[in-house]
Amino acid sequence: MGRFLLRRGANYVAMLFVAVSATYLLASVFMDPRSNYLSRNPRPPMDSINASLTAANINDEDPLLLRYWRWLTDIVLHWNWGLSPDQEPVASAVATRIGASTQLVTLATVLAIVIGVAIGVYTAIRQYKWQDRVLGGFATFFLVIPTAVLALFVVIAAIYINEALGFRLFYVTGLHSYEGDNPWLWLLDLAQHLILPTIVLTIIGAVSYHLTQRTYLLDTMKADYVRTARAKGLPLHLAIRKHALRTSLIPTAVNVAFSIATVFTGAVITETIFAINGLGRYFVTTIVNNDINGATCIAAFAGVCTLVGALLADLVVAWLDPRIRIS
Amino acid sequence: MNPVLSVRDLHVSFASEAGTVRAVRGVNFDLMPGRTLGIVGESGSGKSVTSLSVMGLLDENARVEGSIRLKGTELLGLSELELSKYRGNEMAMVFQDPLSALTPVFSIGDQLAEALDLHQDLNRKQVKERSIELLDLVGIPNPAERLRAYPHQFSGGMRQRVMIAIAIANDPDVIIADEPTTALDVTIQAQVLDVLKKAQRETGAAVVMITHDLGVVAGVADDVLVMYAGRPVEQAPVDELFARPAMPYTMGLLGAVPRPDRGENRRLVPIQGNPPSLVDLPVGCPFADRCPLVEDRCRTAEPDLLPVAGRPETLAACVRADELAEQGVTFEDAYEVAEAAESTLESVPRSEREVVLEVEGLKRHFPLTKGGFLRRRVGTVKAVDGVTFDVRAGETVALVGESGSGKTTTLLEIMKLEAPQGGRVAVLGKNLEELSTRERAGLRRDLQIVFQDPMSSLDPRMPVYDVLAEPLKVHGWSRPKVNARIDELMKLVGLNPDHVDRFPSQFSGGQRQRIAIARALAVNPRLIVLDEPVSALDVSIQAGVINLLEDLQAQLGVAFLFVAHDLSVIRHISSRVAVMYLGQVVESGDTEAVFTAPRHPYTQALLSAVPLPDPQLERGRKRVVLEGDLPSPVEEIPGCRFASRCPVRATLPADDQRRCDTVLPVLTGGDDQLAACHFPLTRTSAGLTDVRETTRA
Repeated sequence: MGRFLLRRGANYVAMLFVAVSATYLLASVFMDPRSNYLSRNPRPPMDSINASLTAANINDEDPLLLRYWRWLTDIVLHWNWGLSPDQEPVASAVATRIGASTQLVTLATVLAIVIGVAIGVYTAIRQYKWQDRVLGGFATFFLVIPTAVLALFVVIAAIYINEALGFRLFYVTGLHSYEGDNPWLWLLDLAQHLILPTIVLTIIGAVSYHLTQRTYLLDTMKADYVRTARAKGLPLHLAIRKHALRTSLIPTAVNVAFSIATVFTGAVITETIFAINGLGRYFVTTIVNNDINGATCIAAFAGVCTLVGALLADLVVAWLDPRIRIS
Repeated sequence: MNPVLSVRDLHVSFASEAGTVRAVRGVNFDLMPGRTLGIVGESGSGKSVTSLSVMGLLDENARVEGSIRLKGTELLGLSELELSKYRGNEMAMVFQDPLSALTPVFSIGDQLAEALDLHQDLNRKQVKERSIELLDLVGIPNPAERLRAYPHQFSGGMRQRVMIAIAIANDPDVIIADEPTTALDVTIQAQVLDVLKKAQRETGAAVVMITHDLGVVAGVADDVLVMYAGRPVEQAPVDELFARPAMPYTMGLLGAVPRPDRGENRRLVPIQGNPPSLVDLPVGCPFADRCPLVEDRCRTAEPDLLPVAGRPETLAACVRADELAEQGVTFEDAYEVAEAAESTLESVPRSEREVVLEVEGLKRHFPLTKGGFLRRRVGTVKAVDGVTFDVRAGETVALVGESGSGKTTTLLEIMKLEAPQGGRVAVLGKNLEELSTRERAGLRRDLQIVFQDPMSSLDPRMPVYDVLAEPLKVHGWSRPKVNARIDELMKLVGLNPDHVDRFPSQFSGGQRQRIAIARALAVNPRLIVLDEPVSALDVSIQAGVINLLEDLQAQLGVAFLFVAHDLSVIRHISSRVAVMYLGQVVESGDTEAVFTAPRHPYTQALLSAVPLPDPQLERGRKRVVLEGDLPSPVEEIPGCRFASRCPVRATLPADDQRRCDTVLPVLTGGDDQLAACHFPLTRTSAGLTDVRETTRA
């Protein structure tokens, strides 16, 4: 097992290096940070533009490979991911956003998986019964309405409740507003902020896990080995829980593991509506601002998430499926 | 004595889009303790639905009516929870496909323990002891270690043994086996049937054996129930049924099976037409439309299953049963057997006929690789490793062997028409290695193929006209010529030429296989390769297709290379046979010679494993049951590939054994029969019907 992980790890580092370098080179070719300065009014003098660009190592007058080499050595030797066109260090900006995103996304992801898989299993066992049809209808509804609309409805409902109660139970923007030292009050404050975006993200995630898990379980429920289990004397619902569920969790586990990266960078709309400075919004900002170093840094983080996800997927599948463990 | 299982007036129907499918309509039987009831029928006859309704394992949309009593307790109407107390405890089931019947993510030990824990109160140690005992009983070597293994580490035959172990874990009174050996090779089938008999002896259980294979029924059943279109049409003790069938359908079934133990080239008796749709059943006897002895009164009301006059133990659902029994009508009287077509090449001796296909020492190895990014070779799968045979004009050569023996790979290598990895292949005298691109395209016309499954080998979106016209257009036929040819082809394979605008799904399985044959014949090939052409068809349909193939060969002088695992079909249709084992031909020659006096011990074992559709012969037979499974084709075996399982080698002195283990035998012997064995059996030692002990040459 140790050797397997080590080999995988080495493979992944190599893959990550190639992917991040490619992102850097592509971003350097396509993004034009000079235009940020040229469009300012009044336009700064050419020399100062060049000086700023060179300071951030994004001057298009320097050869690309030279910039790449500087960028790479800075990261490898000093763990310095460079500066944005505004001369802000990219790494610390990304780090704070990772923190915000983690707070926003973690609970929602866990809830989405647990609720989604549970509903999926519940409806699969009751295929075509009213419970399945009703929950399926809800799922389709939430699947088709855009995230922004869903989020706005949640916000409106929260404001309505706040008004009805006469005090502010739900916060509709940001993550924090408490500024004291009491950790309990800080936590309560965070919860008041988090609850709305968490509801939105949970619904979106749970709906897709519900629908896929239902399909996976329906596939394995009809398997011969479930019939064998019933022939042994297990009642239907136990036979499904014991024999069909585990095999049907394998594809879901792979989905979950691989979705880690998108979970961090994909919550753009929710972050925007609830005014949370997360990674998703930052990613969009870096692209709009021609922030080569920033965009590459986020791509690198997303790459790490994907590979960690892949590794987790391998481990989970090996744990669930002895056929893989043994061979 | 009271019956352990008693089924009365069982009706099962399913709601479907086409209407209500009446899958089972009035099944009655009593199962006595320790006895075996065989339920025989073709696909759609309702035999599996009957067994599943006894176990209560049907889908929820099934409507079950009637009465099913297990030791006096009514099972119909019990809730899932109540029923689960009986399942696995007092009645158990063995399913058809052992590869999918065990949960892949649990170890064998866990799955056995589950069966024990559900119905018995045992501690961990007792469970383990009992599991080991059960695995030992069903013949799994090293049972204690194998408990920790997972299903994918077992072969099909071994998994079916595990299934039997699970079924008998709680000493059931009734074991229902639904086609338990259909998915297995013959030699493995023989092993598993033995295990099932042993399990029955140990538990004293009554067995319901559901199968379409009359040979299996003849070997294991005490009584037989024949089903047709959801109803039992005849019930009798096994000897009685095989010797004197009373109902025309039963007669037809028995006449339609080729006999593996008889060389005489009698024509098979196909039953005309197809079984009726279970959604829209005709008034009267459902068999009337196919019955050669039909009378007007057959079409007025459906006959009940009644005792036949003069045969107290036989029940038949036929208005003419008494009359037929009295006259002693057999299938030969009942069914008209068309004369075989006269062969155009009959008078030409084999040695003077043109060689259409010559295969010599053909090799096909596949590398076995490991790793994702940098693949490295960890072994070689020797799928085909020295195959030699030839096919001459107008004859049928059969390739026989169990799964994994390399039959299909051999076919694919020939069909590729490219230089082989090793050895030599010549089609119509042209060596494939020296073929130009144009010659290769020309040869494609002379070599055609028919696949196993007519459901998937025809494009469902192409009408039959297009299916048949495609090969003709590829070879540049003009439109009027194509039309005339298609008309001719449809008649040739016994289909109505007006039906060319229909789609494949509008035809039955047998008709579809006829279309596939017509497509292969379209461009007048010299050799047709048939890969298990009849194994997906029911017996009564299969007989018609076999007869058609024989007639086509006689009329057109086309040669067949016929791959099959069913030895009775092969003995019937082929004039020469090559027996394959692990990628090599171990014996080849004249079919009659090989079947009556096999010289290779594997051929002998293979032949003796085939069940005969004759209960008396079955009982008297002594089988050469092979130990173990086919070795993996990755294994490096320097000597004879069969040595590890060979019953002859086991009797040899150590020196000779070493020779088997180290020296690869080559095909030797007279022209009529070659065998690759250092110590071949003599002509007198053992044939298929010969039950004496084998003696060594």
